[in-house]
Amino acid sequence: MTLADARARCPQLIAHEHDEPADRHWLERLTRAYFRFSPAVTQLPPDGIAIDITGGGHLFGGEQGLADLAQDQMAARGMTVRVACANTPEGAQALARYAHWPAPDERGAIQALPVVALNLGEEATRGLQRAGLKTVGAVAARPMATIAARFGIEAVRAIERLTGDESAPIASLMPRQALRFERRFAEPVAHRESVAVTLAELLHEAASSLEERRLGGRRFGIELHRSDGAVHRLEIATSAPTRDSALVLRLFAERIGALADPLDPGFGYDSMVLTVLRAEPLDPVQTSIPGATDGMIDDARALAELVDRLSTRLGPDAVRRLVPRDSHIPEQAQFALPAIERGAPAPWPADTPDGPPSRPLFLFDPPQGLHDVMSEVPDGPPRRFTWRRKLHHVRLYEGPERIAGEWWRRKGGELAGQGGLTRDYYRVEDVRGRRYWIFRHGLYEETDGPRWYVHGLFA
Amino acid sequence: MSGYAELVAATNYSFLRGASHPSEMVAQAWALGMSGVGIADRNSVAGVVRAHMAWRDLGGLGSGFRLIVGARLVFADGTPDIVAYPATRLGWGRLTRLLTLGNRRATKGDCKLKLRDLLAHSDDLLLIVMAQTLPDRALLERLQKARGDAVWLGATMPRGGGDARRLAALQEISAETGVPLLATNDALYARPDARALHDVVTCIRTGTTVQAAGKLVLANAERHLKTPAEMARLFRACPHAVAASGDLLARIEFTLDDLKYEYPHEPVPSGWEPQAWLEHLVMEAARTRYPEGLPDEWVRKIDEEFALIRSRSYAYYFLTVHDIVRHARSLDPPILCQGRGSAANSVVCYLLGITSVDPVANKLLFSRFLSENRHEPPDIDVDFEHERREEVMQYIYRRYTRRRAGIAATVIHYRPRSTIREVGKALGLTEDVTARIASTIWGSWGGDVPEKRAAEAGFDPDNPEIARLRTLVDQLLEFPRHLSQHVGGFVLTEGRLDEMVPIHNGAMPDRTFIEWDKDDIDALGLMKVDVLALGMLTCIRKSFDLLRRHGLGDYALHSVPREDPETYAMLRRGESIGTFQVESRAQINMLPRMKPRELYDLVMQVAIVRPGPIQGGMVHPYLRRRNGEEAVEFPSPSKPHDPNELHEVLGRTLGVPLFQEQAMKLAITAAGFTPAQADGLRRAMATFRHNGTMPRYEADMVDGMVGRGYPRDFAERCFSQIKGFGEYGFPESHAQAFAWLAYVSAWLKCRHPAVFTCALLNSQPMGFYAPAQLVRDARDNGVEVRAADVGSSEWNSSLEPAKGGRFALRLGLRQIDGFREDWAKRIVAGRARSPLRSIEDMARRAALPPAALRKLADADACGTLGLARRDALWEARRTPSGELPLFAFADAAELAQEPDAELPTMPLAEEVVTDYQTVRLSLKGHPMQFLRAKLAREGVLSCKEIGAAPDGLKVRAAGVVLIRQRPGKGNAVFITIEDETGIVNALLWARDMEHQRRAVMASRLMLIEGEIQRSKEGVVHLMADTIIDRSAMLALLSASDEMTPPIARADEVSRPKSVRPPDPRHHHPRNVRILPRSRDFH
Repeated sequence: MTLADARARCPQLIAHEHDEPADRHWLERLTRAYFRFSPAVTQLPPDGIAIDITGGGHLFGGEQGLADLAQDQMAARGMTVRVACANTPEGAQALARYAHWPAPDERGAIQALPVVALNLGEEATRGLQRAGLKTVGAVAARPMATIAARFGIEAVRAIERLTGDESAPIASLMPRQALRFERRFAEPVAHRESVAVTLAELLHEAASSLEERRLGGRRFGIELHRSDGAVHRLEIATSAPTRDSALVLRLFAERIGALADPLDPGFGYDSMVLTVLRAEPLDPVQTSIPGATDGMIDDARALAELVDRLSTRLGPDAVRRLVPRDSHIPEQAQFALPAIERGAPAPWPADTPDGPPSRPLFLFDPPQGLHDVMSEVPDGPPRRFTWRRKLHHVRLYEGPERIAGEWWRRKGGELAGQGGLTRDYYRVEDVRGRRYWIFRHGLYEETDGPRWYVHGLFA
Repeated sequence: MSGYAELVAATNYSFLRGASHPSEMVAQAWALGMSGVGIADRNSVAGVVRAHMAWRDLGGLGSGFRLIVGARLVFADGTPDIVAYPATRLGWGRLTRLLTLGNRRATKGDCKLKLRDLLAHSDDLLLIVMAQTLPDRALLERLQKARGDAVWLGATMPRGGGDARRLAALQEISAETGVPLLATNDALYARPDARALHDVVTCIRTGTTVQAAGKLVLANAERHLKTPAEMARLFRACPHAVAASGDLLARIEFTLDDLKYEYPHEPVPSGWEPQAWLEHLVMEAARTRYPEGLPDEWVRKIDEEFALIRSRSYAYYFLTVHDIVRHARSLDPPILCQGRGSAANSVVCYLLGITSVDPVANKLLFSRFLSENRHEPPDIDVDFEHERREEVMQYIYRRYTRRRAGIAATVIHYRPRSTIREVGKALGLTEDVTARIASTIWGSWGGDVPEKRAAEAGFDPDNPEIARLRTLVDQLLEFPRHLSQHVGGFVLTEGRLDEMVPIHNGAMPDRTFIEWDKDDIDALGLMKVDVLALGMLTCIRKSFDLLRRHGLGDYALHSVPREDPETYAMLRRGESIGTFQVESRAQINMLPRMKPRELYDLVMQVAIVRPGPIQGGMVHPYLRRRNGEEAVEFPSPSKPHDPNELHEVLGRTLGVPLFQEQAMKLAITAAGFTPAQADGLRRAMATFRHNGTMPRYEADMVDGMVGRGYPRDFAERCFSQIKGFGEYGFPESHAQAFAWLAYVSAWLKCRHPAVFTCALLNSQPMGFYAPAQLVRDARDNGVEVRAADVGSSEWNSSLEPAKGGRFALRLGLRQIDGFREDWAKRIVAGRARSPLRSIEDMARRAALPPAALRKLADADACGTLGLARRDALWEARRTPSGELPLFAFADAAELAQEPDAELPTMPLAEEVVTDYQTVRLSLKGHPMQFLRAKLAREGVLSCKEIGAAPDGLKVRAAGVVLIRQRPGKGNAVFITIEDETGIVNALLWARDMEHQRRAVMASRLMLIEGEIQRSKEGVVHLMADTIIDRSAMLALLSASDEMTPPIARADEVSRPKSVRPPDPRHHHPRNVRILPRSRDFH
């Protein structure tokens, strides 16, 4: 059925794109949950899991008990699951998909399965059905040579796997190694320098592990296990992936230094764990040769380090970077975002090459109202205005730059005259040489007595 | 000339850049008091004819307002945009050649121009350089060198902040180079209100949303037409820039009316004048047809037509059409063709063999449609066999060369569904929401998106987001979207076509098309010949071939026996499946009411079952009058007017206007319209939805009729009928041509059903019904149908002698799903020497791949080899492909003998289901017969029993679904179901539809509960109230296979595309052929 068909039948239908990687990822996570039953567990995409329970079933109350547990485990995740046990993984899968389990006679149940359980693909399945061979048993009863001649040796093998005449082991999905580095101390360590030394050692280990994997850490965590059972956890983040243990160490030092409640080693720490919480690809780079200077790279690195250090010390929200945003509305044309999340500074859109700057360096937020403005109708500049109780006489001006409202943000804004007020911006210089960015909020045909504001100051 | 003219105005033919129709631009410029306007679209002149027509409506040159047309050249080499206006006819030719050059260089829809192309084609062009940044002096100097004082520098005041600074810089450049400044607003739309729409089209073009568009959309709404006073104020620092628009305007003498058209001279032998040659040809033909001399009436009519053709110099046109038709007939085998259209009613066309309907016998009036008042060329469309039209097109290209022949364009407009989706996307609505709204426009067509639609989809129409979507969709609807090529409208010229109009590359290789569409061509009086494809002609030709081959007679289109009473008797019984035009369900229902007895009845039948007459409410009055239930009376005007004037116009159709020509004639006769006014009305009818001129004509016509003494309600009814025509009206000349083909196909069906079905099957896909229904109909009519078989079938279906000198229909291998023609050919060649012995033998002789063998076995086509379906399949599966060299010499069986497989026999129900799956029809039985016992227990009647049931009985019926349709205004759904005994037509009111939508849409096997409604003509309908989806029952038939009954080609659920209604303004004959809208009558 096509989506259009489905929509014709049910217009309220909500369709989502199939997210195959997400499904795979989810199946993998579900599969991992079964490592408690057996080390040999694997996923059968798109929607199956096979567990080798050879010799382990009794630990969980036999096959039935194990099936119940497996079902409970999935139910806890909001999934329903069909379970079957059989002599071969293929047999179990076929029974789970096409029959009820437990069956009193496993062999009989497999014989009674429809031929589609052989998993031979649509064309071959149809061929068997058309020939009147509708169950696995009916096919298996034929001389295998006739089946092989028509459906290939694969079909014969599929029958044998299903009926248990042949079996292949499953390849287990073993858990991957996490980037976790631990040091246990023979005696509790209370000395701050000893902790620092150990941390440095762990960071070196981590750095070489990361390098092997061509990764760099973005977030690092340490756990300090105190002898009385208390655990201190600390985390730091960097703006770019790194393997520089000195940098990370320094950041941890900043972090510790900035703690409101200083670390209390008490009777000392038993052990210490360093974990790389987030890593990103980082190819090996040539570190600069001592003595040689590469100004640009050094500058960028120094800035990144400064950002990291300040962010670590003051919190990520305290250090921000302006990021341009594509908008005509001046106050929306930039964001101030936490610098540590932004990586390298983005290039700022260039102003007109040989003209004066069109935007001031400093913007008022919100714009400040003006009074006693004298101007020409319909689009003349302010001749004079009062700002902060001071009268200014305009000597030079340029404009207007007309910026219309964002009609799509207003209810009914698409209708004529409903699109919101238009602003006319002027760059003006008063008789004392000060330059202002002033706008009239609304055209004269849009509103009676539009108000004037100063939005920014030019340097 | 003083004042100001905006000379850089883009329209929505600058696709997704301009936001106003050309007519709006012209009208607004005029309303603002400008002295003129210049229309220049992006590398295109596609919209200028529309602007020109709007300008003509304002009074043209007499209005004192000037329209100049040109193009904005956008270069691929970094040169700033240059707007070019031809000053003379020569300049126009240069411009169109330049654009053609760019178009032909690029892939479809693009235009790649370089500055040197312009320099090479710049004669008589006036150029305006539009610089984004400050222009390069070197460029200006180069242009000046090429064009002297015909170069201007465009200056704008876009309110960008630095306008004054920029203007000053431009003035400096102007002073240095001597290139004068020209004030313009570089307009993209007529009024500032269009800003929202312009932002939306910008987002559609760039594939973003308004929220995310940022600086892609313009900062303000300034790019509209501004009053001369405002422009003067803006350019007060530079008044001569404003005055420059007048200078430029004064130098242009070209208007589109200067495009004098010259017909190609090919068809006339040297030494002959075209008129003389035409008369010669016609008189020769007349002498052959009437060796004893022409009847007087003919002589008179021929003289009349000759005079008219001479006075308008149309001889070339008739000769050109004749030339094409003659060529098609001269091929071996000849291509069947037939002309239609306004000029096709002429005796000249009949004698030249362009048409086969005798205009004298059928009282057709040629001069009525080709009046001297209409300054439009005559119109003849020629239909050719659909499988062979390409040969005709290639002939035209060969004969007239690509320089002088091109296909017309079709402007693809924004349609409700696509508009909702695209605007919704641009507004940032999710796909879910827009898809849901769009999906509610099911098979219907509306000029706007009614509130009800949104409400149907579960949206509050007052919701601001939905209201916004609606407002913008309404504005964007009917905007041109892109140019596409017309299916077969050729424009032929004597001179270079590319000096008339730019030419584009078509999507198909070897196709080129021009930038103007049918309306533009009409408006400029260019000649167009429509070379169209018609499936029924293919079918008729194949029927004639079969008749000839089997010794059943030698016929041509015009020599089929006329007025055969048995054929009409068959049609009166409503038996018309497979015929042309009268085969749809609505037409079948109409046949017993119309009771056709002669060709003219069919002409009316073809014309009456269509939306125009239906919406105009003409159908029932006509039927009542025809059946003598209502007096035929003609309202009379007051004195001194002729009281019988309407009798003249409407006499033949019993006082009810059924044809487009009658509507126009009515306006002239009864409302006192001048012919020019009537022509305007006709044009307004075609386009009334977007330019709103219709109300004006409504007032004129109703008042005109009332003023002449007609009752007001009669006048109003007449007008509403005309409005209906506007959308889907049908001219009598087309109806005549179609009726004749309908008659010929009905005659074939009646007299030679096996031949006709065979030809129909071999011409698929075409028509309304699936092969299963055609075969069933043939069997019902006593034709023996034999299954496809490797021993006797060819690729096509064929005829085999049967008992009693009759013929049986042998299905061809083409009926087998996925089978290929070359496989079939090899089987036929392989069995030529001796019959095939086994599957292996066949595989070897015909070199068939395993897939082919399996398809044959699956389709149960191996009966001659003594193999039932299962055994054949079992055998086919082990047969290797091709031939092993070792055994080739021995020609011995390669495969070892196997013991009998003893496969279980296939139950009949499964045989039928498998037949449907592989051949899409079954000769062994009907799936419903196996479910009959079970259904009978539930009290379900068979279709035959329903057909015999009394009026008002409550019944239950069940069958496989053939067609579902929801035509016209969509207030009823028509469903046809079939079982082993026949079919039942059910009707479900739309109000009962929504709560059982899923059952209606998804059922393959449907159970319908409802009440019998029997009309006095004996037409039975089941008025459904409950629909139950019983598709699951089909699974009972076969344990392994899903039954998928074949659904007719006309089903709107499974094939929603085929019912896309024709665009009324490009009332395209191909769509007429499929007749999507005619199904909606009840």
